[in-house]
Amino acid sequence: MTAVPVRSGASAVGLAVPLVGLAVLAGLAGTTDRFLSLDNARAILASTAFVGITAIGATLVMIAGSGVSLAASQTATVTAMFFLSTQQYGLVTAVTVTVLTGVALTALQGAVIGYWHANPIVLTIAAGFAVGGATTWFSGGTPVNPKVREFDVLNSTLLGLPVAVYVLLGVTVLAHLTLHRTTAGRQMYLVGSNRTAARAAGMLVGRITVIAWAFFGACIALTGVFLASFNTSATVTLGGTLTLDAIAAVLVGGTAITGGRGSAMQTLGGAVLIAVISDVLLLRGYSTGVQILVKGILVLAAVVAVHLSATRGRR
Amino acid sequence: MTRRWPARPDHLMPAVSLLVVMVAFACSPLLSGTSLQPFDVYNALQGFAQLGLLALAIGITMIAGEFDLSIVGTYALGGMLAVSAGAGSAALGVLAAVAAGAAIGAAQGALIARLRIPSMPVTLATYIALLGLTYAISGGLSKTYPNSDVTLWVDQTLAGIFSPRSLLTLAMFVIAAVVLGFTKLGRELRAIGGDRRASRVAGVSVGGLVVGLFTVSGTLAALGGALLSYSYASANPDPGLQPLILAAVAALLGGVSLAGGRGTPLGLLAGALSVALLAQIVAITALPDFTTQLLYAALLAVIVAIESPGPRGLLDRFRASRADGLPGFPPASDDELHETSHQPSTS
Repeated sequence: MTAVPVRSGASAVGLAVPLVGLAVLAGLAGTTDRFLSLDNARAILASTAFVGITAIGATLVMIAGSGVSLAASQTATVTAMFFLSTQQYGLVTAVTVTVLTGVALTALQGAVIGYWHANPIVLTIAAGFAVGGATTWFSGGTPVNPKVREFDVLNSTLLGLPVAVYVLLGVTVLAHLTLHRTTAGRQMYLVGSNRTAARAAGMLVGRITVIAWAFFGACIALTGVFLASFNTSATVTLGGTLTLDAIAAVLVGGTAITGGRGSAMQTLGGAVLIAVISDVLLLRGYSTGVQILVKGILVLAAVVAVHLSATRGRR
Repeated sequence: MTRRWPARPDHLMPAVSLLVVMVAFACSPLLSGTSLQPFDVYNALQGFAQLGLLALAIGITMIAGEFDLSIVGTYALGGMLAVSAGAGSAALGVLAAVAAGAAIGAAQGALIARLRIPSMPVTLATYIALLGLTYAISGGLSKTYPNSDVTLWVDQTLAGIFSPRSLLTLAMFVIAAVVLGFTKLGRELRAIGGDRRASRVAGVSVGGLVVGLFTVSGTLAALGGALLSYSYASANPDPGLQPLILAAVAALLGGVSLAGGRGTPLGLLAGALSVALLAQIVAITALPDFTTQLLYAALLAVIVAIESPGPRGLLDRFRASRADGLPGFPPASDDELHETSHQPSTS
């Protein structure tokens, strides 16, 4: 809006490429049999929800300049087990305890990164091993099967959409408000774009980092809750490929891995875009391999586009 | 000033970790009750062969300040191509895998060098794409390798403890050590990892080095994948993230840092041997599997504690306060110092 002419020229090119891509996708999708149906739209949203919730949390961490976490799958698994083994205390208690566990585990990593400036990748690999090892230890490697099933309500649908979709939308709005309406949220952008300057300006860099990671932890735990409810039991491999799927959604949404740029709404868009493309390919009869391949190319295109639009002014 | 302790982490870390793990390996009969056999060493070296080339591949990119996540995708693709193309001739299969790995690495390196883009998101995208490609080639199923002569050959016992596979892996480390140690390439890699702008100004051809680097990492990863699927007599389309994570752990134990600028192939060798021996110790002593994970976590926690500027800052301040003769200077992180000093202006 207030962009100088040079910038607006650059952003016009930056906008044109994704728009053309979306137009091609819309054309392909519109001509795909069974794509334009309510059931299919529901299926897309439902498949977005689990990864999407974690991706929203990962967005805050990436904006705040901590890069990525490689421990999301393990954390989701352990929170899912926690959720299932606390079923007898009622749903509200179980969800609360689970979310608090996720927040505690992940905020602790945020504290080491924020206050000690530990490398996020090394630290989260360590955390992934610690959490994964402890999970196997305490569960004995056997699936957790709850005797009480308080979670069934989480698998129900409301107005035709699974509960998880509403939670995804709620988390997105909450993340958006946090990023734009709170001091800590706005400072995440500054910490992410220039940590030294943020510290020099008197920002509580450590605390802001911890807040971003705590939010992330809550999101991972919510994904864990829904994974557990959906599968009705939890094994040590429940988290699956969550770690990279979430990062892929954040990157496709246009958040820069170097921090300081991005938004929760865009991540939601990224997650939905991945789901839509997978859905179109599936309906057109392409194999899982082709779907994954196209997802990789999409992430690559998004990463290159974001990098070009971020550095064009400086070149 | 900031690099005061430990003095030379790139030499100290791999030496200490390998020594500790070797002592533990030698002591493992105390727990298992049976004496060590050459076969145990052979097994450890087989584990090293499985991990080593990936560790070398990711390690050299880390020395140069990059992080090549795609190696585990190239590893899977290389294994699949070797099995598909090498049914008649094993060498042809390896050639196909290595050619694909080199081509993918070169393309990736060219993109990263030309756009000066952070390598992690790019290689993450490539990893996902390569995983998809491998799935598409194999239909998502593992593919059996029918040539059992080759399978027997790559894993045959040589001199009691070696196999052609582990010797080949060792040879790659030796080649890397010679090339990086006796040409200016080693110094240049560390230079572009430490301060890229300064090395560009100093006349280092950064772009060419980055392209070459990713070409080599792709080649090594594909070779590792090809050898592994010959050994298993089958190729797995999705090895998961575990091989990558273990390779990164080996590199970190080998004295490489994610910030770049330091590390040597011999350090990487020590790191890879440490990880392989550790896994073998857990196997010999029949400890539960999760023990390995907890051990890796503990080792990485040590690395975090040594490498993070925070704790090192604490230590430096502590030493400074001792040197100045100030008793009981309260340890505080950078943040806390700033937080307290800026409180008046915010309230």
